[in-house]
Amino acid sequence: MLRTGSEKAAMPDNGPAPMIGVEGLNVRFGSAHVLKDVSFRVAAGESYGLVGESGSGKSTVLRVLSGLNPSWSGRVGIAGAALRHRPPKSFFRQVQMVFQDPFGSLHPRMTIDAILAEPLAIHGIGDADRRIERALADVGLDGGFRFRYPHQLSGGQRQRVAIARALILEPSVLLLDEPTSALDVSIQAEVLNLLQDLKSRRDLTMLLVSHNLAVVGHMCGRVGVMNRGVIVEEADIAELRETGGRNPYTRELVAASRRVSLGAGAA
Amino acid sequence: MPPETTPLIEIANLRVRFHTPTRIVEAVRGLSFTLGREKLAIVGESGSGKSMTGRAILDLVPWPGEVLADRLAFRGEDLATMDRARRRALRGRRISMVLQDPKFSLNPVMSVGRQIAEAYRTHHRAGAAEARERALAMLEAVQIREPGRVYDLYPHEVSGGMGQRVMIAMMLIGEPDVLIADEPTSALDVTVQAQILDILDRLVTERGMGLIFISHDLPLVSAFCDRVIVMYAGRVMETLDARSLHQGRHPYTRGLLGCLPDLDLPKPRLATLTRDPAWTEA
Repeated sequence: MLRTGSEKAAMPDNGPAPMIGVEGLNVRFGSAHVLKDVSFRVAAGESYGLVGESGSGKSTVLRVLSGLNPSWSGRVGIAGAALRHRPPKSFFRQVQMVFQDPFGSLHPRMTIDAILAEPLAIHGIGDADRRIERALADVGLDGGFRFRYPHQLSGGQRQRVAIARALILEPSVLLLDEPTSALDVSIQAEVLNLLQDLKSRRDLTMLLVSHNLAVVGHMCGRVGVMNRGVIVEEADIAELRETGGRNPYTRELVAASRRVSLGAGAA
Repeated sequence: MPPETTPLIEIANLRVRFHTPTRIVEAVRGLSFTLGREKLAIVGESGSGKSMTGRAILDLVPWPGEVLADRLAFRGEDLATMDRARRRALRGRRISMVLQDPKFSLNPVMSVGRQIAEAYRTHHRAGAAEARERALAMLEAVQIREPGRVYDLYPHEVSGGMGQRVMIAMMLIGEPDVLIADEPTSALDVTVQAQILDILDRLVTERGMGLIFISHDLPLVSAFCDRVIVMYAGRVMETLDARSLHQGRHPYTRGLLGCLPDLDLPKPRLATLTRDPAWTEA
């Protein structure tokens, strides 16, 4: 059983205020209605996954929650406050995001040191030197990486830098948009292990978006399955594993994931 | 015509290296295999040399890259000593290649249909009208509904899955004997991926084509291909029957399999790969 298993599974609707609470979230881009009444809750310290195909709206949910998408309607609470359409600076200390492509998300002309110093400068946090050293050490990179440029790093090392940048502000919520889909499986395993270590050490709440059900199943206790802007089913991973899901679309995803599974871990 | 028993591709001791100002970087180091009318997978991580192998077969490794081989042959014809004109005639006509990301490999300022027709006219003496007919038929063959409408769309107007089908249509319109597919489905969703694989599978079975399927996705190639070559640091670690990939013996293969999360086999921590320096030596 996973550490993030079923003990935190079903969130009662009237339980304690969740770390992330989304109710009736709608997003329209022109005439396209990309999120239709999306609702879900994530408890503090929980890992929640959103799976679905391209265009299902899963990344749009993350963009709303991270304050990158100012046009939405509905009720969203995150890290103890209602989400505003133009979030204040303090919001970004609480909520940070790691993007899919570590080749596109780090400034190519800034050193790793400058990349990590920027969030500290923006939020007026001192002691940058020590914090940068620690942030790098936390993601398993030694100080030698500080004065390198992103192009001198491998994909996995860059994604570690992106995680360090997100965590250097010590946020309580970490949003992950396909954090390993651009990486080799061996590097994916290292990054996923790192995320789990950091999560348990810092009591982070994680929202992981991925098209890979096996990755979500490994990292999260509960999952929302998205299709065409709607969460068609919300389930415990353990339950999904056992029943294969109730919704036809979920069943299709689970079947697709099993078709390409080797069952090699058992050998 | 060579007899049917002649392999489509024969490679012995293939080496691809790059000359940089300070040293020589070896991307492929002594690769050997033969390809028949089958689906052969080459798997490995970034930098293992799998894409360079595909490019070397097509002579798409420009200087400072250099391709050396004891034997590099297509249906018994030696590619290494062949003149450039003959090599060019084969490329795209008898051997063609589908690249990973249709967003970057299609011409953004030409409608997709015209690009397919252009590929046809490069290799066949045909008028514009005939090429258009062929292109429309090819779009239909890769299961694009309304080929007439899609013909006039530009690459930015089609989805990733449709773009990849357009690429495949373009590569197959010359009716090649060998198709090299470099990560043809890794930018696609699982359901679209299944459709693309179906199309490739039908082409191999119905037309007797040989397919070299380059991928980093072990479960996928195990389900789809006939044989699998596992590469690391430019070398072959082992060659396996695809169905028994999960019984691979080499520690590198085992390591790769071990790091995969599996929905049905939850584990508290994923295994990570310990790289043995001995793998990079002979």
